[in-house]
Amino acid sequence: MTVFFQLAVTIALALGVCVGAIAYFRAVRTPRPPVGVFNGSDIFMMMGFVLALPYIYLTLPGAVLPVVLALVFAGGLSVGYQPLIGNGRLRWALIALLIASVLACHLAFGETAPPYWIANSAVVLLIVVSATNLNVQGGMRLKNVAWFLLALTAYDAFFAWVVPLTQELSDAVQGYPYAPAAGLRIGEDLGAVVGMGDLLAYALFTTTAYKAYGTRGLRTGIALVTLFGAVAPVATLHIVAAVTDHAPTLIPAQVFFGPAAFLGYRFLRRGGPERRMADVVFRGTRGAPGPARPQAPAGRGAAAEPVG
Amino acid sequence: MLETGVRQVRVAMAMVFGRRLNVRAVERLVADALLTLEEFGSLGDDVDELADGPFADPDERRDLQNRALQRTVRRLAKHSPFYRERLAGIDLDGLTAETLTRIPVTRKVDLIERPADFLCSTPYLATQTTGTTGRPVQIWLSRYEMELWPALIALSLVLRGDLGPGDRMQINLSSRATAAVQEDVEVCRLANASCHVVGQIPPEESVEHLLTEVGGTRPTILTGNPSYLGQMVTAARRRGYGPDDFGLRAIYAGGEMLSRSLADALRETFGAKAVGDAFGMTELLPVGGRTCSKRHLHIDPNMGYTEVLDLTSGEPAGPGRLGELTVTPYFPYRECMPVLRYNTGDVVRTLDGEPDCELAAVPAVSHILGKSGTLHRTVEGLVTPRDILEALDGTPGLPWPLRHRAEVGDDGRLHVEVASKEVTEAEAAERLRDRGIDARVTVLPVDDEVAARLFPLRCDLLEHTFTRSHA
Repeated sequence: MTVFFQLAVTIALALGVCVGAIAYFRAVRTPRPPVGVFNGSDIFMMMGFVLALPYIYLTLPGAVLPVVLALVFAGGLSVGYQPLIGNGRLRWALIALLIASVLACHLAFGETAPPYWIANSAVVLLIVVSATNLNVQGGMRLKNVAWFLLALTAYDAFFAWVVPLTQELSDAVQGYPYAPAAGLRIGEDLGAVVGMGDLLAYALFTTTAYKAYGTRGLRTGIALVTLFGAVAPVATLHIVAAVTDHAPTLIPAQVFFGPAAFLGYRFLRRGGPERRMADVVFRGTRGAPGPARPQAPAGRGAAAEPVG
Repeated sequence: MLETGVRQVRVAMAMVFGRRLNVRAVERLVADALLTLEEFGSLGDDVDELADGPFADPDERRDLQNRALQRTVRRLAKHSPFYRERLAGIDLDGLTAETLTRIPVTRKVDLIERPADFLCSTPYLATQTTGTTGRPVQIWLSRYEMELWPALIALSLVLRGDLGPGDRMQINLSSRATAAVQEDVEVCRLANASCHVVGQIPPEESVEHLLTEVGGTRPTILTGNPSYLGQMVTAARRRGYGPDDFGLRAIYAGGEMLSRSLADALRETFGAKAVGDAFGMTELLPVGGRTCSKRHLHIDPNMGYTEVLDLTSGEPAGPGRLGELTVTPYFPYRECMPVLRYNTGDVVRTLDGEPDCELAAVPAVSHILGKSGTLHRTVEGLVTPRDILEALDGTPGLPWPLRHRAEVGDDGRLHVEVASKEVTEAEAAERLRDRGIDARVTVLPVDDEVAARLFPLRCDLLEHTFTRSHA
């Protein structure tokens, strides 16, 4: 029963976040800065954040961590859904409602009750969907994501098995609302939780694959996410439990998904160069369009010639 | 993307606090803009703010102006012997745009007589004016300036979509315009465009170059002086070429006044959608101006301070008044041979209200009306060289460029001499009268060579080639 429950929840979450990100990508264009494209340097910076954030979280006193997470969630939602809900007051009212509902469910039903996990998962999924699109629509390429996921594989393995940072962080958020994870718990026995970082990895890969190679990329992404993002980690969890007679509390999912995603990128790359954002036909909502640009020419050259 | 953001902040901070700009950072921003265009096909939101500078707000601009002026005069007083004398006894730290008028203007003659006393840093390149409007002046530029300006210009052009990959610029400037030519070449390199320095060779040859495809591309951008561009129009029409024969999308003219009819002729003959009439002087670079569709001259307020000084009082001109354009480039954009309150001698009219054009965010005056020493005070009123040029340019029988001279006779009436073998005095006088100018016209039916000797223009700085030269 547990294995099917975990498989169903994990697949639903992994695919749900991918479908949500693709739907957002097709329907909404996020505002972007005048100049700047996501590149390899950004990957290094992202990895820096990934490395630093757990330590920052763990240095915070227990009760402060959920407050910080709630603020991060609220900020992420506001930035990500500004193109969809342009009215700032309405957007912030809805965000406050969402954030408050997580807290209310936690207080009313407890940490292991389905209402809390459903509310928390909804918030986490919404954030992952928008964060994915801010990156992908900022020009992130499948190549960037593939290398990022490969780096994340090493990170995930190291901090799960060598330095148990992931476990410490998981323990630190126990008992508090706003866990950086989505899942479902029904009592003490049934539970399946996927980390927010893992969900972001799945959504990023699938969406960039779709952006880069269209339907072929989408199919590849969905297949890899299902097999190596959901099925493999859950199966491994139960195989390890059966073999060792001890169920591990967490499985570093990127150890399975990262290499598979990298190979998936290499496979897709055979189909030709990646599409650019300019090549992606868009018929949806464009966020916060700027004013029309003046088109008067800015002359040079002759004007700068020395005057007599 | 984050890297680009960091670079933007670095450049913006240097601009706000008046520190020397990191040229590599500006160059990398140009590359970032090109990558953005490649990925998205267009630049992102708020690109205007980035292109026009963060100081579109008048209050912010005033604050920036005062700080930039204080910074500039402090440096001049420290490094320039000329300005050390001139600024003696002036409270430099308390200087504002309002009190700037207490400092006498700098004139071209000052630069001619005491060039060494203007030097504030190590010179790298000397460029000399052509002397077409008086005695030539030598301007020294530093290595930093020669690297910074193309980067700033390339960034501005790429952000505005005026230059980019796929463009090919044909530069029809005199090879003696060393700084301008070198700058254009560097701008093209940074914008990933190609360029062809053609010079002021016989105009027929320049027209042929416009038709020549190299690597599947013909020139898309042409730059030159209006008089030379006028010769190219005449040459192209004489050979029966029309807009479909060329691949030009923009023509940038400068250094002389561009009349409306010549601008129209350039569009009609070469098929260029945009014809830009730009303002710039080597003495003032990188401060420059653009002319909008309403024919206002919009001068960039981020790199220098512009004043219009009344022709009679020398004080700031009121709305709708004629005055001389006086410009102070700010440090750190100008560092080697900077000038303070440089009187360009160019006459403009201040606007009677706020501009209502596509460049309204940038302060504006009228387009250049002529040099202050060439205004004509007739019994009927003031006539500017622009008035005469606009009236006569495009007259059937008067080929481009217009060769003429005007002066006020003893009777207080305007006397205009025009070189032409076809137009009659009555026709020319009629054209002038249509624009409210009463003038006595003399038509000189002389050859081109004689006309060029009588009425020299920038296009006469002709460079011979073995292809055509009779030498």
